[in-house]
Amino acid sequence: MRNLIKQSLRRTAWIARITFLEAIRQRFFAFLILLSAALVVSSVSFRFLDFGHGELKFVADFGFGGVFFFGSILTLVMTAQLFFAEIENRTALTLLAKPVSRWEFLAGKFTGVWAVLGIFIFTLTFILGLVMWGRHQELVALAEAAGRVPPDLSISGVAAYALLQWLRLGVIAAMVLAISSVARSFLFAIVVGAMAVLAGQLQWIAQETLLKDKDLGVVYQSFLWLITRVIPNLQQFNIGDALALDVSSVTNGAVWAASLSGCIYIIVLLVLAGLGFRRREI
Amino acid sequence: MVRWLTVLLVASAIFVAGCFAENSWRLVRTSIPEMGRKQIEPTLGQGVLLGILGGLRTVIADGTWLRSYVAWEKRDRAACEGLMRTACALDPRARYFWENTGYVMGYDMAHWEIRRRGGYAKVSQEIQDGLFKSYARKGLEIFEDGAKHTGGNPGILISAGQMAEIKLKDNLLAASYYKRATESANAPWFSYFLCARSLWEGGQKKESYAWYRKQWLEKLKGVGDSSPDDLEHLRYMEAELSLPVLQRIPRQTWEK
Repeated sequence: MRNLIKQSLRRTAWIARITFLEAIRQRFFAFLILLSAALVVSSVSFRFLDFGHGELKFVADFGFGGVFFFGSILTLVMTAQLFFAEIENRTALTLLAKPVSRWEFLAGKFTGVWAVLGIFIFTLTFILGLVMWGRHQELVALAEAAGRVPPDLSISGVAAYALLQWLRLGVIAAMVLAISSVARSFLFAIVVGAMAVLAGQLQWIAQETLLKDKDLGVVYQSFLWLITRVIPNLQQFNIGDALALDVSSVTNGAVWAASLSGCIYIIVLLVLAGLGFRRREI
Repeated sequence: MVRWLTVLLVASAIFVAGCFAENSWRLVRTSIPEMGRKQIEPTLGQGVLLGILGGLRTVIADGTWLRSYVAWEKRDRAACEGLMRTACALDPRARYFWENTGYVMGYDMAHWEIRRRGGYAKVSQEIQDGLFKSYARKGLEIFEDGAKHTGGNPGILISAGQMAEIKLKDNLLAASYYKRATESANAPWFSYFLCARSLWEGGQKKESYAWYRKQWLEKLKGVGDSSPDDLEHLRYMEAELSLPVLQRIPRQTWEK
């Protein structure tokens, strides 16, 4: 039994490695990581556009926003593209003809994509952390000279943000894989995936506005309640500025709870993808 | 049968994941600025979806604020109000947006309205006063919202007090805002005097003195140079109220 698991893991790791190498060589990945890095580095230069916030908050928001936006696009496109490339090039047929199960194929695909997304997130967050730390040092010196209270910056908070974003992208990748496993075309997977991400990001607004509205009927509210439990809440991973600049506002255990929730979503969505892919004709 | 069981199992798994997410969301929620229906509705159609989605909220709030200045220059009341409220909704913890939106609503918009109706010579004084008051009330609503979202920022409360004083000519309402400002942790030193002066000018002279005296003895006396300006104001009040010497604040050793 142990041997079987070991072999299965080996096959999954092999597919993940191939997927990783394929993804990291993509021009699209290189283009997006360069664009995002440029955005993160230039955030300090745009601070003159800021009104009434702490300067670091503006820089953080600019950088986190770039990571969030380009990360989401990269995940959507790359996951669907790598999955459909295997099917359209018929390499999936060859792979699955060998003793590789469909579950291993999907798990390998996901792991490879997630590893590339990890490189994307951690590289950008490292650059952002450096930019923020550099500016923080200057602001501390200026504040000390003027006798003002220096701004706070938590580097561990930036690292926690990177972890949460990596999990968020993992949830999106698993979501796109679940859609791709039943979708017939790349375009369909991208469009539905983008809509799912949009719904996931906005479902908290539905919770805030509609679920608290007492004028709505019980049936409608129950339906909304159910929907908010079915669509993954992706907003729970977006607490970067609070983690980096105002740690006291983050409730104890919030990062762990969000991480656990992200892991559960990834597992459930991968199971869903596996079930969809099991009966698919290739 | 097996197929249905699988569907049921997957649905249950998704539901369980949703319940875990709900639990995590409750913990995370406190770190994300509040955004209810009241804040979202005026922002619709302003292209702020990306800001609501996550990330870039501050940046989009700044961009929206810049756009609102274009509307302000054109004296376009509806666009200006919409964009300024959008900036406030996107970044509700920034004092700057609330304070300036309140100022524009309370001080500028009534003038735009009078000009739109033909100018100061054509609009009767009574209608002008009515417009100034109605826009000042709208400005105060903005300040109230701002105070709520910024945890009672004293700057916003003092601005509200000034508006109540200047535009509504309501000294007691102004005093209530100044008093709230004095209750915040980082209340500026002059907020105590502003509150006492508003109460005094609102006709509550004895209450004003009693409150100011209490504040000076309990808070201001122990701060820095013992707040001599405030004591000077208190001495003026004691003289105006013709208080007997024994009821006055005992003479301080450093007092001139």
